[in-house]
Amino acid sequence: MDPLIPSLILYLACGLGGVGVALTLPRKGYSLRAIGGVLAAAAVGLVILFLSLSAADRTPSELPNLYFYAFAIIALGAALRMITHQRPVYSALYFILTIIATSGLFVLLSAEFMAFALIIIYAGAILITYLFVIMLATQAPTEGDQDLLAEYDTEAREPWLASLAGFTLLALLTTVMFAGSSHLPLPGARAASADTLDQLPRKVERALARAEALGEGETVVRADQANRTIVVADANGTTRTIGPDAWPEGLEATNVESLGINLLRDHPMTIEIAGVILLMAMLGATVLARKHVELEESIKAHEERRLHDARTLRMEGEA
Amino acid sequence: MMSTLAQSGAPEIMGSITLAHYLFVSAAMFALGVIGFLTRRNLIIMFLCTELMFQAAGIALIAFSRYHLNLDGQTFVIFVLCVAAAEAAMGLALTVLLFRKRESLSADEWRELSG
Repeated sequence: MDPLIPSLILYLACGLGGVGVALTLPRKGYSLRAIGGVLAAAAVGLVILFLSLSAADRTPSELPNLYFYAFAIIALGAALRMITHQRPVYSALYFILTIIATSGLFVLLSAEFMAFALIIIYAGAILITYLFVIMLATQAPTEGDQDLLAEYDTEAREPWLASLAGFTLLALLTTVMFAGSSHLPLPGARAASADTLDQLPRKVERALARAEALGEGETVVRADQANRTIVVADANGTTRTIGPDAWPEGLEATNVESLGINLLRDHPMTIEIAGVILLMAMLGATVLARKHVELEESIKAHEERRLHDARTLRMEGEA
Repeated sequence: MMSTLAQSGAPEIMGSITLAHYLFVSAAMFALGVIGFLTRRNLIIMFLCTELMFQAAGIALIAFSRYHLNLDGQTFVIFVLCVAAAEAAMGLALTVLLFRKRESLSADEWRELSG
C-alpha cells in the first residue's frame, strides 16, 4: 500500500515544524516568536493538506470535515503556545484550551462520555490544582518590577537539540502510521459489545412500550442486537419473539451505557486498583506537602498557661 | 473496498477523515509535549507537558477505539485520567515542597538529589 503522504513532503514538514518550534521557544535577547509560529503552522498545514488530498483521492466527491480541522488546529496551536509561553499561568490556561479542543475531537469520535469527563476532570479539577500551585509558588511582585519574570522561565534549555529530538520522533511515528490506513467506520456505528442491550431489559421494555409493541403484563426475556430480535414473556411464562421488522426505532445502546457496562463488567478489578492509586496519591500528597508550624517559645508558654488556668477554673467549678 | 463501504451515504461530518488524521494530531501533540518537557526549566510547566503527553495518548486510544468499534480503548482512557490525577497530586506536592525550601521553581535546584 502506498503511503498517504510522500515521504519527502513529510520529512520537509517535520523539519519545518522543528525549526519553527525551536524559534518559538523562549530565549534571551532576540525574539523570533512570530516567524517560528508561522513556520510551525505552515508545517501542520502542509501535512494536513496532503492528508486531505490523499483521503479525497480515495473517496472523491466529499467535502473535508471542517469540525475536525478546527479542533485539531486549535488543539495543536494551543499546545505550541503552552510549551512556549513565558508565564506559567498562561501556559496552564492554554492547556485548558487544548483540553477543550481535544474533547471536541472526542465528540467527533462519538466518545461523548470521555469528552465530558475530560472537561470535568482535567479542566475542572486537575488544572485548577495547577493554577493554585502556580499562585502559591510564585513570589509576589514587588513595586516597580511587575513584569520581571524568573530566569528559568525566560530561557529554554537547548531548544535546537530538543526540537531535533522531538521532531525526529514525530517523523518516525508518522512514517509508520501513514504507511496505510483506511477510513473510520460509519458515523452511526457505535462501539458496543454484542450483548449490551441484553443487560438493559428495562430500556428495551420502555422502547417497546413506546412503540406499543408490548402486550399487557409482558416482560423482556432477551434482546438480540445483532439479529434485531426480542424475546418477550407474559405473566404465564409463554414467550413470543418480536422480529426485526418490529424492532423499535432508535433502540440502541448509547455511549454512556455501553461504556458503563464495559467498565463495570469487564474491568471491575482495575477500578479497585485505580481507587487504591488515587488514595495513595492523596495520602502521599498530604504527607509531603504538610507544613510544620513552629510555635515560638513565648507563644507556647502563653498557651500552656491559658490551658492550666482553664483547668483550674473547671476544677474549682466542680468543687 | 473498505473505504467505499464505510463511507457510503455518510453525512459530511465524517467526510474524508481517516484514522491517520487523528493519529497525526496525537503524534504531533506528543512531540510537542516531549519538546516542552526537555526545554522548559520550570517544574510546573514540565508537569503540564507530561499531562499534554497523556492527552496525546488519549486521542490515539479513542481514535483506535472508534476504528475497531471496541470500547476497551475508552475504558483505558478513564484509567489514564486516574493516573494523570494521581501524578498531578504527587508532582505538585513535591513542587510546593521544593518551593518552600528554595524559593525557586527551577528544575536545576533538584540537581543535588543525584549525589
